[in-house]
Amino acid sequence: MKKIVLLIVVVVFGSFSSNAQIQKIDQEVFGMDCAPCAYGLERGLEKLDGLEKVQVSLNDGKAYLDLANNNNLSLRQIQEEVKKNGFSAKNAEIVIKGNFVEQDGTYAIQTGKETFKIAEATSTNLRSRLKPGIVKVKGIVQDEEDGNLTNKWKLNITQVY
Amino acid sequence: MSAAGMSIATEDDASYMLRYTFFYGITEDLQVTLTTPTVIERLENAPRTRGNSMMPSNGDIEAALWYRFFSNAFGVGKRFESTAILGVSAPTEDVRGQVNVGNSIHGAISTGYASRTWYAWLGGGYQYYFEKDNQQLGDLPYASMVIGYRPDVFMGDYPKPDWRVFIESLVEFPGDNKYTGQQNFTDERSKKVLVGPSFLGLYGAWGISFGALFPVVQDLTPKAIKENYRVSINLSYWL
Repeated sequence: MKKIVLLIVVVVFGSFSSNAQIQKIDQEVFGMDCAPCAYGLERGLEKLDGLEKVQVSLNDGKAYLDLANNNNLSLRQIQEEVKKNGFSAKNAEIVIKGNFVEQDGTYAIQTGKETFKIAEATSTNLRSRLKPGIVKVKGIVQDEEDGNLTNKWKLNITQVY
Repeated sequence: MSAAGMSIATEDDASYMLRYTFFYGITEDLQVTLTTPTVIERLENAPRTRGNSMMPSNGDIEAALWYRFFSNAFGVGKRFESTAILGVSAPTEDVRGQVNVGNSIHGAISTGYASRTWYAWLGGGYQYYFEKDNQQLGDLPYASMVIGYRPDVFMGDYPKPDWRVFIESLVEFPGDNKYTGQQNFTDERSKKVLVGPSFLGLYGAWGISFGALFPVVQDLTPKAIKENYRVSINLSYWL
């Protein structure tokens, strides 16, 4: 019996862990002013494995990305692709499923590759709805300097699913 | 890459040329270009000029390195940037305007602002031809300014077509040619100011631009050639 319970725990936990990922990104892009600029960025993003849909808007200055199930993409990869095309990646609105953890008195959501530290701007109400384990949230990832990207971000949560 | 058709009309004659340009981005800030001409009709007496900082308007093959040394994307669709260009060229003809044509070097710098609505670009450059068999084409300092505007009606979002209109102005100070038997070379320069409209349409990876420049000032040395107009059309594709 113990073995069956252990097996169920491993399967369920393993399944949740493999689903820890970014699901959607609306990436703000500065400096993109022309159709070939948008074309180049769109084409560059489409080459990344794990994207289901890419739409670039010049007027909004955004790349709207739907990520595939079980993707292994990171926000850093997306922002590096933006930079590679000659633009500047700014704030990003993301939908993320990840492991909510406490680290040294601070709270964060972890995916396989990245850590999203919960920003102080997140409302107490939303924060209180987060329980340890797998959570799904929507939020704004604060802009980091393009030349100094790491796998750590600050996330201002705007919705808890 | 792009293919261009260019024409320069003087008081006596007109030139017609096709020009193919290949661009390759080594990094986001460094690009190499190679531009080659197919001259259909040459001017017997050609004025000293360039098509623009990107390409010659005569029969030169030119290779250039572009370095974007400053870039600041500070808003949606908005950026300041500055680029330096250094190029070398070799002629496809032996004689131009009855003077032997040598190789040349060209340097330019440009800086500008782009947004979804307004564009403003300032630039300046210098081309120097080396002597060949005791003859030398005149050098060419120049400066240019471009103002662009995209009205609301052309503000359709990607991937819809994207049109802009520009007013271009160009100031050139071409030096006289030096040749065998020449007496009293004075080192004087002609002064030309040209102004004209141009249009740029972009759709996906394609771009088409066309425009004309008309001289509004031509303060010429006795040997310099008076121009009537310059026209060009350019079709580009980004691979």
